Amino acid sequence: MSELVLHDDELDEDCYRVRLFLSLLGLEARRVAVDVVPGGAQDSPGFRAVSPAGLLPVLRIDGQMVCGAGGALLALAHGRPAWLPEVRADFARVAHWLQFAAGPLRATLLMRRACLFGGAGDGQSARRRAAVGALRIMEDHLVHRRLEGGAWFVGDGPTVADIALFPAAALCRDWGEEYSAYPALRRWVRAVRGLPGFVTMPGIPDYG
Amino acid sequence: MSGTCDGGWYPLMLSADLELGTVAGSTVLGRDLAVWRDGEGQAHVWDDRCPHRGMRLSLGFVREGALACLYHGWRFGVDGRCVHIPAHPDLSPPGTIRAAPLPVAECHGLVWASVEEDGSLPEGDPAMDAAAWVPVRSLRIEAPWQDVARAVGMPDGHRAAALDRDVEGRVLAALLPVREGACMLHLLAAASAGVERLHDLADWGQDVRARAEERAGQVFLAGVVA
Repeated sequence: MSELVLHDDELDEDCYRVRLFLSLLGLEARRVAVDVVPGGAQDSPGFRAVSPAGLLPVLRIDGQMVCGAGGALLALAHGRPAWLPEVRADFARVAHWLQFAAGPLRATLLMRRACLFGGAGDGQSARRRAAVGALRIMEDHLVHRRLEGGAWFVGDGPTVADIALFPAAALCRDWGEEYSAYPALRRWVRAVRGLPGFVTMPGIPDYG
Repeated sequence: MSGTCDGGWYPLMLSADLELGTVAGSTVLGRDLAVWRDGEGQAHVWDDRCPHRGMRLSLGFVREGALACLYHGWRFGVDGRCVHIPAHPDLSPPGTIRAAPLPVAECHGLVWASVEEDGSLPEGDPAMDAAAWVPVRSLRIEAPWQDVARAVGMPDGHRAAALDRDVEGRVLAALLPVREGACMLHLLAAASAGVERLHDLADWGQDVRARAEERAGQVFLAGVVA
């Protein structure tokens, strides 16, 4: 594998998804910092030449540029059956949660960005309700998984789906949602934190 | 354990959700609590506030049988007294530096705390004592706890009860008023329920939540938003 390069913003949870997965895989990437807040560098001509839609992060892997967390996670998981199952039924389950992370779960990311950087209040906005609804879908799924003896979103061990979903749950306190409302998510967050190679980002404490 | 409102005992969480050597947050009627389990398995409930700088202790961590604050690492033993200050390792902290422990009981698969100063000790409830309880789940419901209590068929004035929901066995339902208009519903099944039964009860909890929130005008529908 040629050198891995990650165009990265330390405060961005999409970038953290990929930093976390790299660390869990024991891989090192050369990091190129992108000044999103306050610099707005994601819209600069220089960065748009790398990522035409302004998506972060950007991973260069085997000479290819992959833009966005979902694509970068898949590219890293390729050929690693423990993280991306080969059996189609399990692959389909992982695909389902990757799509969820890139779709309805974006409401949590938008809430967090608005609360940290955009001055959004605590009101019951449509966005907040959608974000809570998305976390509840994860909570309800983990409740059923636990009742059948499972601790992870798919199968018997962590997959790339867990990594894609993790920051939304771990960072929910940044937009005013308490772990106490999500007991199953809380236990799963602890399990992810216990994985060898786990790293944090600002907003996720070192202990727990 | 009495399920009535006397004595000020509140069901905070499922015992199964408080793992050994961990701390969690809970809120009773707007009062924030830190709930932690020491290495011996004993549960403790304190006000969620470090006596040093007011940091939430529920964000801390359990080390060497003590709860440590995330902020400056001050450690507090099971009696609430400060036992260690990392910045002054040779200092024996004075007894006046202490967290505020609340009376705790653990039974029927739940962690209970008495949030009233002179709360009487919990009394037995024959129906709840008659079974061993298997944890199913807890749910946050954005609706008044009294409304949820009525909806699940809780006897008047009770926060917890063994319910005869259907022919398949009894359900222990317990309600924690979090604040005005929000509560946690804890569900347990009488042993020895099969796994299908546990899934059904978990789904029933979701139905209870959806209907109570609809009555309260609260809808949390996931979807794609801008």
